[in-house]
Formats: sequence, structure tokens, C-alpha cells
Amino acid sequence: MDLVADVITVEHLTVAFPAREGTGEVVRDVSLAIGAGERVGLVGESGSGKSLTARAIMRLIPQPGRVTNGAVLFDGAELGAKSAPTKWRGTKIAMITQDPLSSLNPLVKIGTQITEMLRYHRRLGRAEARGKAEELLRSVGIPDPRRTMTRYPAVLSGGMRQRVALAIAISCEPRLLIADEPTTALDVTVQAQVLTLLERMTAEHGSAVLLISHDLGVVGNFCDRLLVMYAGRIVESGPTATVIGAPAHPYTRALLSSIPSLRGDLPDRLASIPGSPPHGGGQGGGCAFAPRCPLAREVCRQTDPALLNISDLRTVPGDSHQAACHALGDENWNQAA
Amino acid sequence: MMTDPAHVHSIADQPTAAAPPVVDVRDLRVHFKVHRGLLGSQLVKAVDGVSFAIAAGETLGLAGESGSGKSTVARTLVRINRPTEGSILLSGAETARLSGQDLRAYRRRMQMVYQDPYDSLDPKMTIKDAIGEGLTVRGVPRARRKSEVEELLARVNLPVALAGRYPGQLSGGQRQRVSIARALAVSPEVIVCDEAVAALDVSIRAQVLNLLKDIQADARVSYLFISHDLSTLRFMADRIAIMYVGRLVEYGTSEQVFSEPAHPYTQALMAAVPDIASLGGPRPAPLPGEPPNPASPPAGCAFHPRCPLAVELCRTVAPPLVRKATGQLAACHVVPDAPEVA
Repeated sequence: MDLVADVITVEHLTVAFPAREGTGEVVRDVSLAIGAGERVGLVGESGSGKSLTARAIMRLIPQPGRVTNGAVLFDGAELGAKSAPTKWRGTKIAMITQDPLSSLNPLVKIGTQITEMLRYHRRLGRAEARGKAEELLRSVGIPDPRRTMTRYPAVLSGGMRQRVALAIAISCEPRLLIADEPTTALDVTVQAQVLTLLERMTAEHGSAVLLISHDLGVVGNFCDRLLVMYAGRIVESGPTATVIGAPAHPYTRALLSSIPSLRGDLPDRLASIPGSPPHGGGQGGGCAFAPRCPLAREVCRQTDPALLNISDLRTVPGDSHQAACHALGDENWNQAA
Repeated sequence: MMTDPAHVHSIADQPTAAAPPVVDVRDLRVHFKVHRGLLGSQLVKAVDGVSFAIAAGETLGLAGESGSGKSTVARTLVRINRPTEGSILLSGAETARLSGQDLRAYRRRMQMVYQDPYDSLDPKMTIKDAIGEGLTVRGVPRARRKSEVEELLARVNLPVALAGRYPGQLSGGQRQRVSIARALAVSPEVIVCDEAVAALDVSIRAQVLNLLKDIQADARVSYLFISHDLSTLRFMADRIAIMYVGRLVEYGTSEQVFSEPAHPYTQALMAAVPDIASLGGPRPAPLPGEPPNPASPPAGCAFHPRCPLAVELCRTVAPPLVRKATGQLAACHVVPDAPEVA
């Protein structure tokens, strides 16, 4: 794999929490790579481990969880225990979350929160930082930046707060921006504005983006490549058009057909997935999706399938389509059941 | 601003069946007085002249952004909020001014399912007691309560074994099924679903939506289904109402509204939905601005500051909700009206 071109590489990441039963592994063997300027979507339901994967990259795993295996490489070098997170957090890798009200300091004026970043990380003078902050706020579409800088986060609307969070996140031109459900709390029209803005700002700075969402429509419309997570594992990955147009994993297929659409035929009933997703990662043993899977057979309950390349092995790794399912490539799977 | 009585009438007429609609809301207004310290108080017109009707066994989908007043409509229908003006007819009888005993009887006929069942279910009450409460209200004798609870659990596809559990021991999808069972316990004519599937995981949503449809087919219950998600409404609803800052801006059959949205706001809402069916196509420019504060809505048509079609008239005069050439009702000066019928 060409590591030099990738901004971030996550290899065999496993995150575990102490558990009474099972392994407690909420992220299992997750590997991913994001190139400069690339937009990758991480999609999954609650408890799938998508947010913890992002937090592991930021080294913000809440106690008592810990990374039990794997490595995170930034520009090919490990973000090991030796490099203090303050050296790269916020400057090289920035993050925005679902509700900026929880990431912005409620007692500090917007202006101070932005200039703080610029003065501390980019060593700008007071006046210079103020000018740059104004420019940043204007570039994220805040109508009256000077006035907004004197206000507190709580008086802004959700959309405006997310714009401020985005302005702070890009203030140091990070190589990677992690956006964890950035539009989930917003109205659909404001969501479209923020996504368009996110796209423009990251393209201008050449930042790579890891967009985390439960909404296949959001990641599908925004990302070049998708990773689908289920119970802590990546079960499918590939270019957006392939994953959505020709999903290989039964979970991805079921998920796509269970979403109502604005266009096309109107079904009488939605295809639905029986049961509910497991919480607290896999229970050990077989494929975590097996209890809900229409294709599951004995082997699925025994062994966890490996993530395999579906497309021709000659294609470049970045574009490869992978899925973890025993039924893949077995044309007689259904008959033999 | 007054709503022309003719329009109110035309809405009430819409369900074509001979029977009167189960719910017939006419010119509903819900105003709140908000105290602002020394500045005195301010009147917020959360709902300002809304009319709609729901026939038996039918679903009306209500959509709009935050602050549009859609939840206030829901809360007023189940009488958590008191209507300031207007009428709410349930099977033809006026209910807007009910109180005491009559109001309790009314609430039995109009139930609500909330977004987060964790908030609406008592965490210290077992599932069977939560559902059993409704049965007591309906006057089911104690001896039959257990079997009825089991019946209700089966109806929402929950195993009977869950009856003795507490809400905290269930998954989100299971809790929402319990809220539905609880609503069904009093055999209501109408169930108001306020973002009932919004908090559920994607793979669970389809199960609950299918369940709601099955229950409707079975019991001919009517739904007022409130959601910000238009694709869900397209699946669920027979009729669609779109709200913007306290008023309806569009109202018609699901078919009309989704195939030919008339109001520029409806069109913008639909364009903003990140639909997997329209992947790879050119993304339309997002609608600028944000929904206005309902405490100080813009003059004229409340949508005019964000509207791509706005003309001078829109800044001063609020457009009435009238029939448009595409068949549905919409409140817009620019969109052409239906030709006058003789």
C-alpha cells in the first residue's frame, strides 16, 4: 500500500471496554486509509463503533476504554504515545461533532475561541488573529462576523454554531478533518448548507475528510468512498457508487432497501431487517450480523468472515471494493442452505 | 390576518368519503405569551390559522423545519397545549373547549407517540403496568388485563416475556413498540406520532413504520404523522401538509405534493434531502438562510427572505392558501392558481 500518499492510516485498530460477558471489543480490527483531499464516509448505526474509531484517531477514548491493538499513522509516522496530542490535535487533525454546544466553551465569546486557536497554534499577534478570525467567519457564511465574535455560543442557532465550529476546525488548515454527525441536529435545509460549506472549505485547504454518519444519504452524497461498520467491524468498503449501486454485504443491501426514498416506486411495505443491532461489539465467535442475516448458515455462526477484495485484485487498493461475508463468491450459497 | 372562510371550508371538504373526517381542524391558532423580563411580554404565534382534516384510517403527514409549529399542532391536538382560537372537531363534535371529565374522555380517543420513548415511559413502571394503565382507563376488568396486555404485546411484535421488564432494559425499537402498544390500549381513533421514528436506528425504523401501517390497516386508526424526513412521509402519508412559521404553505395528496410540489419552500425542502436515489446527480444549490424566529416572523409571506421567486408583493402581503393549477393548496403569490371553476 502506498503509505506516503495517505494522510491518515489506521491499522488493525481494536478498542475495548471492560465487559462482564464477551470481549468488550467495541471496535474490532478496523483498518482504513484516507488520502490527501479525499472524502471518506464511515456509516453505521448506534453502537457500531464509528464514533469510537474517530475518537481513537484523536486519542480521545473515554475511560475505561482503551486501544488494545493497532496503530494510527499520520503522514506515515505513528502518532505514538510519545508525541503529545497537543502537538497535532486541532492543528493537523481537527474534529467537529454533532452539537457544537458541547465542544464550544459556553462561557467564552466566539471571537476569543477562534483567536485563541490562531494565537496559540499559528503564533499570530492579537490584531492579526482578530482579522483572520473575521475572515474565517465570513468565509463560513456568518453574515456579521464582527458582531458574532462578541457573542456567546448559546445565543446562536444550531446552524450558526456548526459554522463557527467549522471555522475553528479549519483555522489551522488541518490535513484531516473528522466530522462526527455534523448535521444530525440540523434542519434539512441547513444540513445542505453545512455540507456544501464543508465540501468547499476542505477542498480549498486540501484537507482530507472523515465524515461519520448514520445517514447513508448524507455520506452517499458527500463522500468518494464509504466504509460500512456493523458491531465494531468494517463489513464493507469501496467507492461510493459501488457500495450504494452494487452492495456486496447483506447488511448494506438490507440497509439500503429499508430506507424510503423520495423518488421511484412506492412500496407497500419497507424491506426490514429483523432484530436489532448488538451493543457492545461482537459476542465472539461468528459473524455479528448472522442472527439478523437472511443468508446465514452454520459457518456464519462459527467463524467471523475476513474482509476480502471483491473486485479484481489488479485494481489500485484505494478503489478496491471489499466485504466481509462467507456467502461472497459462492454462487451455490442459496441452494446449498 | 384572517383566513378566508371559503378556504377553510374547501379543506374540510377534501376527504371524499361520505362520512365526515375523524379529525377536522379549522383555523387553529395557538399563541404563547413569552415574558422577557423588564421588556414586558411578547406574543409568539406558534400556530396561526392552520386547517386540515384526516379521514378514518388515513394518515396526514406534517412536515416543516424547527420552529414551524408542527409539534405545537400535535401537542394542541392531544390538548397538552390549549388552542387560543379555532376549532378541533373529532368525528364532527367540537372539542377545542373541553375540560374536566369530557377532556379526559377526549384524550382517550386521541393518543400520542413521542420521539423518545425513554422520556415518555415511566422508568419505574414495568411494561405490563405501563400498558395496563391504558386498559384501566378503558375499564377492562382486572381478570382480563393480563391477557389483553399479552395481546397488545403480540400486536406490536414484542415477546410476552418482556412484560415484566422495565423500559431501561429494552432497546430503543422495543421501547417505541411499547409506546405504541400503550397508545393502542385505550383503542383511540387517532394517534399523533411526533417524530416517532427519528430516534431509532435506521435498520429499526422500517420495522416500526411497517408496524404502524399494519395497525392502521387492522384498526382503521387515523394518524397525524409528524416528521422532518420527507422520504418517510412519502411512504407513510396519504396527504401532506407543509408548515412554515405557524402556517400551512402547502396541503394536498401525497401524490400531488411529491410529484409536483407547488410552493417554493416545499421544492427547496425536497431538493435538500440527501436521497440515495439521486446519487451522483448535480446537487442543487442549498436554500439560503434559516427558518425565522417564530416570535418575530418576517412581514408578508414569512418565506420571502429565503425565497428564490419572491416579488415585491411577497414582502407586504401574506398569500392565502388556495388551490393551485397542480391540484393541491398552496400559499404563494407567484405559483399560478387553478382556473376558476364555474
